[in-house]
Amino acid sequence: MATVASQAVGRAYRPRSLAAKIALTPTILVMLGCYYASITWTVYISMTRSFLLPVYHFAGATQYHRLFATPRWQVAYTNMFLFGALDILGTLAVGVLLAVLLDRSVRFEGIFRTILLYPLSISFIVTGLTWQWILSPTIGVQQLVRSFGWSDFVFDWITQPDTAIYTLVFAGIWHQSGLIMAIMLAGLRGVDREIWRAARIEGIPVWRTYISIVLPILRPLMVTCVVLIAIAVVKSYELVVAMTNGGPGFSSDLPGKFVVDFEFERANIGQASAAATVMLGSVLAIVVPYLYFELARKNR
Amino acid sequence: MWKPITVAAVLAGALSCSQQAAAQDADVMHWWTSGGESRAVAVFAKEYDKRGGKWIDDASVGPQAEHAAALNRIAGGNPPTAMQWNIGVAVRQLAEQGVLRPLDDLAKKGNWEANLPPLLVKNMTYDGHVIAVPVNIHGANWMFYSTKVFDALKMQPPKTWDEFLADAPKIQAAGYIPIAYGANAQQVDWLFEALLAGVGGNDLYRSVWVNHDAKAAGSAAMVHVFDVMGQLRQYVDAGSPNRKWNDSLALVENNKAALMIVGDWAKGDFAAANKKLGTDYGCQMAPGNQDAYVMTVDVFVFPKNNKPDQKAAQDKLATLMMDPAVQTEFNAFKGSMPSRLDANVADLDACAQLGKKVMAGGAANQLPNFALAFSPDTQGQIEDLLGNYWSNKSMSPADAAKQLATIIGNAGH
Repeated sequence: MATVASQAVGRAYRPRSLAAKIALTPTILVMLGCYYASITWTVYISMTRSFLLPVYHFAGATQYHRLFATPRWQVAYTNMFLFGALDILGTLAVGVLLAVLLDRSVRFEGIFRTILLYPLSISFIVTGLTWQWILSPTIGVQQLVRSFGWSDFVFDWITQPDTAIYTLVFAGIWHQSGLIMAIMLAGLRGVDREIWRAARIEGIPVWRTYISIVLPILRPLMVTCVVLIAIAVVKSYELVVAMTNGGPGFSSDLPGKFVVDFEFERANIGQASAAATVMLGSVLAIVVPYLYFELARKNR
Repeated sequence: MWKPITVAAVLAGALSCSQQAAAQDADVMHWWTSGGESRAVAVFAKEYDKRGGKWIDDASVGPQAEHAAALNRIAGGNPPTAMQWNIGVAVRQLAEQGVLRPLDDLAKKGNWEANLPPLLVKNMTYDGHVIAVPVNIHGANWMFYSTKVFDALKMQPPKTWDEFLADAPKIQAAGYIPIAYGANAQQVDWLFEALLAGVGGNDLYRSVWVNHDAKAAGSAAMVHVFDVMGQLRQYVDAGSPNRKWNDSLALVENNKAALMIVGDWAKGDFAAANKKLGTDYGCQMAPGNQDAYVMTVDVFVFPKNNKPDQKAAQDKLATLMMDPAVQTEFNAFKGSMPSRLDANVADLDACAQLGKKVMAGGAANQLPNFALAFSPDTQGQIEDLLGNYWSNKSMSPADAAKQLATIIGNAGH
């Protein structure tokens, strides 16, 4: 959405004036100072023997050797890709489906829209705690179903090391799909009615029109959606802390939690910086080619 | 009409006023916010005010928040007068960075060394200087049990872990949870320490926790400790993963679970739930821990400060915290024992009396907890291993011991 908007504006006028440059200067300085300088510092610290306090003597890849030999990091790093892939695909699918359903002009659309957007206004901490209670075998769904008489019903994913990570995906999809729905609904409403009319005259079924014509038109919008969800995936920390606290054991750990634990609880800034650097590198390795491909496609 | 000289006089007056006020101020950072804890810290505050100072209470929720805030203030050049920490490697690391004020003059005047357990003296000194004031001694390896459950079953609380493993199936068959346990880092620490001392014995405990002996950490005795730990998995309830310790304790309070391995801070929770020692709940050392006291100690440390008045405030604070009478009053609320051996404990409850007796067994009985034994980094690695072992039934005890040996081997001395 942002890319579409900025291009439209860009065509209307180009901000080359001095005033615009002056207005942007503080932002650029903050970006350089707070973000890029900090990133550079973190990357450098990850190549030293820093522990409680930073040490600036270069020590090569020692931190990375230890990091990748740590079982907990191996689990957290794998989980990021598993959680990321499922969360992005799931949220996108649910969000688009909801948007399409609302687009078929259901009655009380306003009410549905509010209800579906509501999870987004709830913080990740509350989301996590709520889902923890819902999924807890002793007080949640399992207990409820058992109280109806199905006494050997089992739904204890959150307490099993093999499945706990998937419960995070549930909560992530529940929290984010409302936003995707709102963005996609706005896009669907912007599609030229003439296209629909033409499709109807040609006798193309509605579902086919969506899949082959309307949704491909909204592709730039979907790129924005993917980027938004991906950002939520990479920075997800509160959700894990509130819901599983990385457990059982460290089976549902994510890199964000790993970094915070090492930085603040274990006072090991070398390991924390190395983990943060690997996170950054992995994200760049995926996002940069993806955006490059999508933007190049559009400019063609 | 304003004359420069008047302005200067007024300014000087204001300045000296503020300095006088500051001379009374003690900004104290701590994380004691629960019912019993805040009543305990109020004892210090009241006493400090009585001695002519002004206590400024600076409480955080939890140690991590307090540590982060305190370190930020020190880095920013505005250190608090005093800050709470758990004694151990982390405190020594602070001293290593040179941010703590040595308290040698006060220690000599108050004769601290002769009146404290040797393990404490060793850990509150860095490079020959006293750098911390211990205010209490908690024991982490306690067993709190529901007298109602054991009465109903006509059984006695277990004296050894073997006894527990023999009794647990019967407790479970009668519809009770044999052991209340929430699988998180904090509770796995308490459980493992009680197992290490109770199954492995004090000598194994000391060689791994004090001497950081990697061979002992991978020995057959350690494999056996992990084996017993693994057998406990079947005796907890389904809600155990990631449950907070006070929620686990509530199972004992409500007579749903037979017992829990938890430190003596549990007494505050029992009191808050209106449960009485003796009639509702009982306390004993954890199974096999009759000669072991795993010490968890709260200290206050005093960051170096340029303001001269702050030194006086620190002197006053440290002196009153080491006053035996004040410590007795403080620890009655805190649920722990005074760190000073000459403090009066006659009025403390039966649990504290028992603890005192075990402690009196001398240095052989006094064991360090995680914080005393390891850096936060090593502690974290061990917690990761223990948590993973507990939740991952396919991991063998031998494999767990091997991984522990690697961590201990890297921990240094």
